[in-house]
Amino acid sequence: MVDYTAITPEIVLALFALAVPALGMVMRSSKVLAAFSLVGVALTGLSVWMITDGYSGPVAFQDFVVVEEFSLLFMYIFLAVAFYVILASAVYVKDDKHKPEYYSLILMATVGMLFVASASDLFALFVGIELTSMSSYALVAFKKKDVKSAEAATKYLIIGGLSSGFSLFGISLMYGFTGTTSFSGINDYLSTLGAENIEMVWLAMIMIVVGFGFKISMVPFHMWAPDVYEGAPTPITAMLAAGSKKMGFVAMFKFFLIGLIAIKADWQLLMAVMAVVTMTAGNLIALNQTSMKRMLAYSSIAQAGYILMVIPVATDYALAGGLFQILTHAFMKGGAFIIVATLAVAAVGDKISDYKGLAKRTPFLAIAMTLFMLSLAGIPPLAGFASKFFLFSAPIEAMGGGNDWLMWLAVAGILNSALSLFYYVRVIKYMLVEKGETEEKLKLPMSMMAAVAICLVAVIVMGVYPEPFYQACLDAAKSFFTFLA
Amino acid sequence: MDFTSLYEVAWLVPLLPLISFLIVGFFGKRFKDKGGMVAIGLVGAAMVLSLIIAYGALTGNLPSEGYFETSIEWVVLGSGFAFELGIYIDTLTAVMLIVVSFVATLVVIYSIGYMHEEGERRRRYFTEISLFVGVMLGLVLANNFLELFIFWELVGLCSYLLIGFWFERPSAASAAKKAFLVTRIGDVMFMIGLIIVFNLFGSLTYTDVFNEVAMANVDQTWLMWGLFFMFGGAIGKSAQFPLHDWLPDAMEGPTTVSALIHAATMVKAGVYLVARMFPLLVFNGAVNGPNVLIFIACIGGVTAFIAATMALNSPNIKRVLAYSTISQLGYMFLALGTGGYLLSQGEIESGGLGYSAGMFHLMNHAFFKALLFLSAGAVIHLVATEEMRKMGGLRKYMPITSLVMLIGALSIAGIPPFSGFWSKDEILASVFEAGSMNGVFMLLYVLGIATAFMTAFYMFRMWFMTFTGPEGEATKTVAERSSHGHDAHEHKKGRFSEHTPKVMTVPLILLAVLAIFSGMAALFFFGDTFYGVVYFDEPNHETALELLESIFTHALTYLSILVAVAGILLAYFAYYKNKIDVKAIANKPAVKPLYDMLLARYGFTKGYNWIGEKAVYGFSLVLDKFDRFIIDGLINGIGKVCMKTGKGLRKVQTGFVQTYAGVVVGGAVVMMLLMYLLMTVLGVDLSP
Repeated sequence: MVDYTAITPEIVLALFALAVPALGMVMRSSKVLAAFSLVGVALTGLSVWMITDGYSGPVAFQDFVVVEEFSLLFMYIFLAVAFYVILASAVYVKDDKHKPEYYSLILMATVGMLFVASASDLFALFVGIELTSMSSYALVAFKKKDVKSAEAATKYLIIGGLSSGFSLFGISLMYGFTGTTSFSGINDYLSTLGAENIEMVWLAMIMIVVGFGFKISMVPFHMWAPDVYEGAPTPITAMLAAGSKKMGFVAMFKFFLIGLIAIKADWQLLMAVMAVVTMTAGNLIALNQTSMKRMLAYSSIAQAGYILMVIPVATDYALAGGLFQILTHAFMKGGAFIIVATLAVAAVGDKISDYKGLAKRTPFLAIAMTLFMLSLAGIPPLAGFASKFFLFSAPIEAMGGGNDWLMWLAVAGILNSALSLFYYVRVIKYMLVEKGETEEKLKLPMSMMAAVAICLVAVIVMGVYPEPFYQACLDAAKSFFTFLA
Repeated sequence: MDFTSLYEVAWLVPLLPLISFLIVGFFGKRFKDKGGMVAIGLVGAAMVLSLIIAYGALTGNLPSEGYFETSIEWVVLGSGFAFELGIYIDTLTAVMLIVVSFVATLVVIYSIGYMHEEGERRRRYFTEISLFVGVMLGLVLANNFLELFIFWELVGLCSYLLIGFWFERPSAASAAKKAFLVTRIGDVMFMIGLIIVFNLFGSLTYTDVFNEVAMANVDQTWLMWGLFFMFGGAIGKSAQFPLHDWLPDAMEGPTTVSALIHAATMVKAGVYLVARMFPLLVFNGAVNGPNVLIFIACIGGVTAFIAATMALNSPNIKRVLAYSTISQLGYMFLALGTGGYLLSQGEIESGGLGYSAGMFHLMNHAFFKALLFLSAGAVIHLVATEEMRKMGGLRKYMPITSLVMLIGALSIAGIPPFSGFWSKDEILASVFEAGSMNGVFMLLYVLGIATAFMTAFYMFRMWFMTFTGPEGEATKTVAERSSHGHDAHEHKKGRFSEHTPKVMTVPLILLAVLAIFSGMAALFFFGDTFYGVVYFDEPNHETALELLESIFTHALTYLSILVAVAGILLAYFAYYKNKIDVKAIANKPAVKPLYDMLLARYGFTKGYNWIGEKAVYGFSLVLDKFDRFIIDGLINGIGKVCMKTGKGLRKVQTGFVQTYAGVVVGGAVVMMLLMYLLMTVLGVDLSP
């Protein structure tokens, strides 16, 4: 008898993803469909909770799925993202003919993410990523009459396809070389390997990294991100930034910190360089953006750089900091994107200068946006400060034993976050300080305001009282290193 | 009286203003005065509690360890580390509590009158100022460096909001931004320092960090770097060289805000930080060499001097005061650095004197600077200009203001028995003492004396230019207004001349009294000398009488009085008697470039702008263009050739995608090469 416990969440959510279009045949109301999808997400959350409740150790399915604390944490994150994306979409797609498919695709993308969260095998991981990618290609193209959206989707598809090709090629090389696709198997093989033929492993590794780097928008595989973030329907942008991107990190962590940990000394410096390059490029380019979505896109790239620090540091403390940063980022960046979407509904433009005098027109959103920006910049006592503090202290903690150079990672991170303040403050200045052309109050949909409010509460609570959240991340990180390796 | 139960509730001190922040923020519109009375009530309550707590702490009612501490756990890290939220009360906290809560309360009361015409906006003002006071009090009471840092950032944020209060002025908005961003440079260093210290000690709680055993066990070189970076935070916050340039611009806020920033909150946080980490500095200085302490003293001395030179010819009354703040803060750092140096060299008594002199100057400065700013605010509102050349002869129209401002000027100039004299003299005495051990301090002493001279000169230049001499154009309008009694400006004039409402005059008079007498605290401070009460360690010290004797039998005391008097006399002859033709001297070819350089603040403003706008933004622009156009352009160029052959290509904008795909492939190749380069060619070996 096969035990399906480990994949119940995926099964439940996939069933809902299939049921939404069926329901769409009879019910055309966007609100009903959204509510139905939300029920699906909630039930999936419940099935994750059933694994969490009385958790006594990893639950496996066949050879390629292991659910443990790390996976559980990410499942909750992905489900939370799906929840608020759907919430924010209810109004956004209300007049579209294909809204059932829209919700179905969001759920399907989430199923892929859940698979990635629990995959213990390189190939299972790849399939999960592809499931999410395929769904999000269609979602990005959703406003197909909108030239920008269509163009963005085309780019996304082509570059995504190319990157997947790279990954797949890398995986096959890796398989050919090590004879296994399971992470721990790869690691076992590599730990017995001498220096001969190591270049082959490097090649496979880098090809795989291209695919994963594409997902997390690591420089230089980031160029699609601003275009796609700008062109995609904004709730989907939020999903890409807060969900799909985090999935890429899960893949990265599993690949490097489990699969390749034996040859850590080989890639440590390379990944440190990539992290610093990514954060610096992201922040520098963000300085010059005039479009809000592009600015947020580059700031996401910079955040990816911060999180990438985890890989070269490679301690459970670092991973915990990275996880916490992922968690907080999901809310602060997601919240910011949803505000952009909300304002788009009210016909406020996407230029940063269109936000002039917003404080008068919609005080709640202006204050919420201010807090998100300050949190992204790492100002206490908001969530972004707490997570950056933990993350940046990780390299320092790992110093010693020839690893003193890691301190420069922390320094680069801190300098970068100071740099980022420049463009975040600019948004605040436009909203609160500059006078707008009109002071007319904006009428905004309640469901979107609710989504913003959820993110806002999360950002404040996690900043003021980070303990339980951080503890969860630390448990997840410990579990990650204990059970998966 | 049992103070312990009071200390237990000390968390109420920051909480009360924060409650006011919430009440005024949410319900301010409903109050007739937009929440002014709420703010006064709650800030005042915080003051009463602060003063009682400070009284308890300063009269020796502290637990035997010399401090009171209570805390709750906030974040527990897995490996047993915990961050706390807590309260820490010792004599240093007590002095800061007095200064912050007292000045803040007076400023809030004064604001009722000063901000009266702002209408609906007063709600925002009182909301922000309550928050400002609350977080500053929280900063002072924190029991660990992380909590301090969090409040520290919030103080920065509040000052950003308040400096930009009149945001319709572009200069105000940009000044606010500059203040926020420039101090962030310091904050970044602070954070690096904190991370280093945390890594060394595994804790940021004062009691863990200041533990002698723990201090002896850490790597002293790393500790030195940690302290150095933490001091970087103080440089930014307290506007020390080379991050001093934001403070003169911060004058764009309402004058009450300037008074608060300069006297009690923002800039004093940096001095407080250095005083707070003093045990670490001294220990590290004794074991590892006093590099950081000498550095602190040098930064202080140099800043004091440079800022004073910039004040010499500034035409703007508020700017003069701003430079004087920077300069006086420099004195405080000079005192702390010197005191720490002496302590680390085993000179317990004189070292302790240096330390307490720094804190003493902080307290005195708070009173006379608040006084100067608030009275300058009254002047500015009457004449509606900040240009001193347009004033002149104002004494006739505002006798009380001119009198209290004179008291402030005498105090800052260091004329006995006004308060500034006592603390400045102690600072210079300890610097001179250190000078016998290390030549650097001799040089700093010379800078200090020169600064004292300049301070007396520019303060009296300001006073003479404003209140005496021929009436300037702005004064003439005031004179006209008061002679035709009934024109539209009448009530405005009336408010700020001698019909100033009591809510504004009473704080001024109170501050003037303190500006005269707070210096006597050197002799009589809660039953002992200031040093005896405030210095955290060694009880061995002089009594009031001995102190008085040692001050006035020391030749150097007379030197510092002499230079102050000389400075005043120079100003008297140049700006009152007009015996010296200042303009002619300024236009001399030898002096002119210097004069202009001072006006241009040694080019620092331009330098910052250049770095900010040209260097950083320029680089960013280049990268952005690279990202968007250069590579695209290359491919598009090829695309264009193609387009001529087939029109169909125009419809699909494939140029972009090809570019991106090219970069992806190129990126993979670059990564491979980089890896190969790092591992094989450079032979980096990271395996432990």
